Amino acid sequence: MKIAICSSFIPFINGGARNIVDWLKCILEEYGHRVEVIYLPQADSPELLFQQMFAYRWIDVDSADLLICLRPQAHLIPHENKKLWFIHHIRAFYDLWDSPYRGFPDDFNHKGIRDALISIDTKALNESKKIFTNSKIVSNRLKEYNKINSEVLYPPLINPERFFCKSFNNEIVNVCRMEHHKRQHLLIEAMKYTISPIKLRLCGVSSNQQYYNDLLGIVKTNNLEDKVILENRWISDLEKVELLSTCFAAAYLPLDEDSYGYPSLEAAHSIKPVLTTSDSGGVLELIEDGISGYVTEPDPKALGEKINELFINKNKTMRMGENALNKITSLNISWDHVVNRLLT
Amino acid sequence: MKVLVINNMAPFVWGGAEELAENLKQNLIIHGHEAEILRIPFKYEPANDIISQMMMVRAFELTNVDHVIALKFPVYLIRHPKKTIWLLHQYRQAYDLFDVGLSNIPNSDNGLKLKKSIKNADNEAFIESRAIYTNSKVTQDRLFKYNNIKSTVLLPPVNNPEIFTGGIMDDYIFAGGRINGMKRQCLLLEALSKTKKRVKMIIAGPPDSDADRNTLILLLEKLNLKDRVKLDLRFLPRQEYANYLNKSLASIYIPLDEDSLGYVMMESATAGKALLTTSDSGGLLHLVKHKETGLISEPNAESIAEILDVIWEDKKKALLYGEQAREYWNSLNITWNNVIKVLVK
Repeated sequence: MKIAICSSFIPFINGGARNIVDWLKCILEEYGHRVEVIYLPQADSPELLFQQMFAYRWIDVDSADLLICLRPQAHLIPHENKKLWFIHHIRAFYDLWDSPYRGFPDDFNHKGIRDALISIDTKALNESKKIFTNSKIVSNRLKEYNKINSEVLYPPLINPERFFCKSFNNEIVNVCRMEHHKRQHLLIEAMKYTISPIKLRLCGVSSNQQYYNDLLGIVKTNNLEDKVILENRWISDLEKVELLSTCFAAAYLPLDEDSYGYPSLEAAHSIKPVLTTSDSGGVLELIEDGISGYVTEPDPKALGEKINELFINKNKTMRMGENALNKITSLNISWDHVVNRLLT
Repeated sequence: MKVLVINNMAPFVWGGAEELAENLKQNLIIHGHEAEILRIPFKYEPANDIISQMMMVRAFELTNVDHVIALKFPVYLIRHPKKTIWLLHQYRQAYDLFDVGLSNIPNSDNGLKLKKSIKNADNEAFIESRAIYTNSKVTQDRLFKYNNIKSTVLLPPVNNPEIFTGGIMDDYIFAGGRINGMKRQCLLLEALSKTKKRVKMIIAGPPDSDADRNTLILLLEKLNLKDRVKLDLRFLPRQEYANYLNKSLASIYIPLDEDSLGYVMMESATAGKALLTTSDSGGLLHLVKHKETGLISEPNAESIAEILDVIWEDKKKALLYGEQAREYWNSLNITWNNVIKVLVK
């Protein structure tokens, strides 16, 4: 079958939204299909939304037998046989409207843009043969804002068998982009409350040099140089596998993430528990408090206490790692399942 | 610098322009830039949908990009403050192909309006670009004739020149490239049937259609050339193609009136092979100099048979022409290094 996968992108920004697309392409090709990936630009500023929506509407991929759309506004592309693996809305007009992340005023104009956007989105979503999402959270939002039912199809990792568990040393690790909403600052502050010899290792690039400088500042102010290892670079896959195989636990506390996020899944495949917070969104679909990790308030002291517990109570830590791995199976996170659902 | 290469896309089709964009990206990265390719679907049938696709390109918003390099119609219509066009071709059906009646745009009121809209949009895109380069003299001349726009020719370099090393000569003449009527592989077979010597040849490349494949196979049987001609009719992995070329005695390529120097001839010169072609092969003649870098014949079987015999009998000549072809090619300095410097000035 000829399958077109369409998604939007911001040039030169890499991350989870590209992984899900590029990995799906690899897997569908392994299943013997011809796959074409089409990434189109998308800028989210309100006054530019509608002209870009026209552009998506004018895209013609009729030469494909099946169109799979991911990041918005790819779902606007017309096709007879369109299926969605919907990973988020343009959130400022949806769930982030009543938050500091809206970025424009709550006035008559913007309400008008919002209402028009939601009505167009709903129409385009309803054109598709089937809608899958990457989490219960996104499914719930589709239901709440667009009155549309969908099926959760959890995104797997590519080649997850490369992750394994070797040992439990004295490090808790966090491997993801260093951004304010990923809240590495909370983790560093939590280290004020941890016992020796626990160390925190943070690895990732930052699109914002200021945030990285802030992190360095927090380390210095609190004299945490001996307890915190900051690696401001994109570490290799091998390094990541190695770090996760030897750490005693992983930490991942994004603010209100749409899905469980690949860092949680990588830790689970490495049979390690995950420390997260009650406001981390989709992470909580994979990680349950006291079972496959710990879920605390987003507060340094609460986090620090759980880090200590994870380090001291090794038997429980190991058991929770096993539970995290088992959860992957019980949620049916696998490419076989993904392909089966997308193509039938 | 963050450089975005923008190209058209016909989903599930991959060709020379896609290879060029990919190599441009790789070489931008080699020169220390960040580079990505944006491929925007474009379909020229039905002609009435061309307008909306032009508007589509115009409506996209690019963020986080320092410099754009656009290759074709309609993607060069994209808006960006720092846009360079490396023009592979315009929408020829609105220009020279329209003039000779080979267009999907009807010669009617509506058709002429569409043609005018394309020209107007083109002119606007050209004027707002900081620089325009064309891939050949022919493209340059067309752009000047129809849009009155001046441009600089920037010839596309050989991709992976390092694999065209040349090497010890085996006893065959190589004919590489796509197989179709315009490339005239049938004429090659007819010429082989008329040589005095038992000249051997390998013809290798992907046929455009099953008809192109079958015609060639039938003719091979009819002329009874099976014992001295090998047909390898498929898309060859690049290294396999290079191996054929590197071991050949000489390289022959006789397309009808090609716009450009022709990748086959550029690669053959890189590999230091004598270049054989015909007098009506167009752009190739900038590279093939008679009795200097190779041999040029009249475009008929008898005349081609003569140059095949000459090169087959005199290996020293083949070596000499090949060496001179390489020297001449190198003197033109058509390298990725140079292209990147010019495009990202």
